[in-house]
Amino acid sequence: MSDLTLLSTTVVGSYSVPEWLERLKTDFYLHRISPAHLAEIHDVAIKAAIKDQERAGIDVVSDGELRRDNDIDYLLARIPGVAISDTTKSYYYDYYDAEVPEPLSTGDSSALGLVDDFVFTRTQTDRPIKFSFTGPFSLSRRIRNSAYADRADLVRSLAHALNAEARKLVAAGATRLQIDEPFLAGYPDDVGLAIEAVNLVTKDVEADWALHVCYGNRYARPSWEGHYDFLFPAVLDADVGTLVLEFARKGYGDLSLFKRYHWDRRLGLGVIDVKSEEVETADVVATRIRRALEVVPAERLVVNPDCGLRHLPAFVARAKLRAMVAGAAAVRQELSETADTDAPPIVTEES
Amino acid sequence: MLVEVRPTKKLRGARALDLTECLSPIVDVLCEDSIDLSRLRLVCDWVQYKNNFRNVIDVRPILSPVKKNGCAPEPEVDKLEIAIDLRRCADADLADIARDALASRSEPDGLGRVYLEDWSRGTTSRIWEFNSLYWRFLGVWEKATGRLYEQALPGGESDARNVAGVHELIKEMFTVWDDLAAHNSLPDELYVIELGVGNGNQAKTWLDEFAKLDAEHGTEYYRRLHYMMCDYSEHVLALARQNVVDHAAHVSSFALDATTPMTALGFLRYKVFLVYISNVYDNLPTEDVAQIGGHTYRAEIRAYVPKAEAARIAAEFGIETQKLVGAIDKLLSLGPELLVDALTAHFPDVARAAGFWMAVWDALKLEERYVPMTGLDLYEIAPGVNGEMLRPMLERHGDVRMQVSNGAIASFVDTLPLLHPYGRLQCHDIFVTDPHQYRTGFLGPGKYDGSIVNWVNGPLLQHIGRRKGFDVGYAPFAHRTGTNIVTLTAQVRD
Repeated sequence: MSDLTLLSTTVVGSYSVPEWLERLKTDFYLHRISPAHLAEIHDVAIKAAIKDQERAGIDVVSDGELRRDNDIDYLLARIPGVAISDTTKSYYYDYYDAEVPEPLSTGDSSALGLVDDFVFTRTQTDRPIKFSFTGPFSLSRRIRNSAYADRADLVRSLAHALNAEARKLVAAGATRLQIDEPFLAGYPDDVGLAIEAVNLVTKDVEADWALHVCYGNRYARPSWEGHYDFLFPAVLDADVGTLVLEFARKGYGDLSLFKRYHWDRRLGLGVIDVKSEEVETADVVATRIRRALEVVPAERLVVNPDCGLRHLPAFVARAKLRAMVAGAAAVRQELSETADTDAPPIVTEES
Repeated sequence: MLVEVRPTKKLRGARALDLTECLSPIVDVLCEDSIDLSRLRLVCDWVQYKNNFRNVIDVRPILSPVKKNGCAPEPEVDKLEIAIDLRRCADADLADIARDALASRSEPDGLGRVYLEDWSRGTTSRIWEFNSLYWRFLGVWEKATGRLYEQALPGGESDARNVAGVHELIKEMFTVWDDLAAHNSLPDELYVIELGVGNGNQAKTWLDEFAKLDAEHGTEYYRRLHYMMCDYSEHVLALARQNVVDHAAHVSSFALDATTPMTALGFLRYKVFLVYISNVYDNLPTEDVAQIGGHTYRAEIRAYVPKAEAARIAAEFGIETQKLVGAIDKLLSLGPELLVDALTAHFPDVARAAGFWMAVWDALKLEERYVPMTGLDLYEIAPGVNGEMLRPMLERHGDVRMQVSNGAIASFVDTLPLLHPYGRLQCHDIFVTDPHQYRTGFLGPGKYDGSIVNWVNGPLLQHIGRRKGFDVGYAPFAHRTGTNIVTLTAQVRD
């Protein structure tokens, strides 16, 4: 992130899915439109999503994950050895019923297709790109395990598959990768396993890695409630440069954890509540950033929404991103003015 | 001509209805008329509500869906639907009634009817003002009729007051709470909401049982419990509060509109473990949509009092007939108590005003017409829920007419955000659970005491719940036999 401005802004991953796109995705499952037409529709929607982010002033953009039906199926359906007996859906957002009947082949490095998605995005923008995918722990929670005596081995096998794909992504030019673990908060006792699997995914992959943990965003609702204390100290062992967390909806009480556990890497600070259509003002965003600056220095703070924007109407998503960018700019300006008057000046961290 | 007979079960058995006897005189009259029989639908219901808004025979225009030069269609009649209430056919002079009904279609508005409104969407009709009036002045109505509203329910009591059901539910909640507590994830405050509290019997039963089970369980959940009683009627809430006085420290009460619970309870977003609703949804505003010949229509309605009835009521209360609508307006806006002050000469006391209210309500009828819809996505079922949600039902079930249950859906989708991730919504009501029921029965509206009742569109609620991330299931009410009541349970899926 060293090439970015202080308090750089980014998204978590997903972008607003318009209702018409939901209908078309469902129409695909009802055999009303062809895969070819749906692919073209996805291309157009992704171009628009990137344009929206650029116009809002987001520093690091994503493809909005608009090709993905949800956070799970896009990957599970592509991992060799994951069996999905019924690939029909009455609604595109539903989860498949997935099973692993036999242990996954650890030597199989078949492409999962994410590289094509990244390359398409790369051709659509000059901005830095963050590319996200769901992590092995969360993927495992949507699989019926008939293969492994110890479920942890399923998680590790999925991590190996994702590691292989991450290597391909980096070879294709990806520099910022993010692992999403939306299910982890529901299984706090498994945090050690989840972090072990994260490290298997990132192993020997030279990228700027981020780990996103939230309380779920299925149907714009939290799937769990609680506090981030379950992440610590295990997360200190994660080989990631940024921890991307949800704060705007839940409040900023858990920021103290970063001080208590001496987190010395970046924090992706959630400043936009993605479960509410009420648009935050730039002032509110700035206040939230200032509060985080009390425990994390500016050079280690990245500004983002709590989670993906997929459930928000596009006009709300745009307005929220604009507010986020404006709030970050306001604090950046304050820091710049402070730096002008106080020596020594703020130096951006070298990573 | 298409003839649709919905109550097919009535055509068989020892007391089978003689359909030919009902239809024959009507068809004869239709054949005498110049009406285009190829553009006619004859639909037959069995309207089981003794008090209802229907005539024995009603004529419903179906307006043209065709646009001319890109303009919105003028209200041009394309087809006709003739609706027959088979229950009342036996003793009626059907030929005369059919002739009168057909003649009325070419009469100028207001010739035989005193209208209370212009054509409107079903949900905005003035009939809902009567419904609202009933709940706001329930005490007046009860005094006038001499019976409490719960006595008007089938069986004379609400299905809510059932210890076995409550016991089972609380035990399940304890299991969830124990698990959350083990993971340090149980909130300090444990919220339960009841929408539509009735006289508080359900709340009392629930709280008594909760306190007892908690004492046995030994986890002091009762100490952390907040029971929120919510009702539209202040009168009902006041009664309910008296009933739960033993639990006063754990009970709060809110007067609110069941269709918008978040306006008062927004501070409980994602915090509520149980929302309990009994016999509320069937009483909330709704309108009908219909699929006819491949087109989708909204049923518009117009409330009226038949002119002869209007004259009778006016005479009884010493009102000039042309001033009757004004008096009804005052009743609906002021209520029966203030009507006494406003029109003392006609209503010297509240009992007399209540008598007027009941007479008008008894005489009230609905005229209907079908208006083409221009796109489901442009139709708002409830705030934040557009008509696309209707598409699966309309596409899969051919020509069908059904309630949209707008108020129930508004309430449902505005309640779901209250639920904790491990929360549950439980609702007892009269639900349609299979779309086929729309082909075989009359499902409202009926008059129930001073309120309106419609069966709730369960499949639509289920579909919308699913799109909001909830599993919605229906089961026959488990704790009393011989009831139409169905239990809806909604919980987060995935």
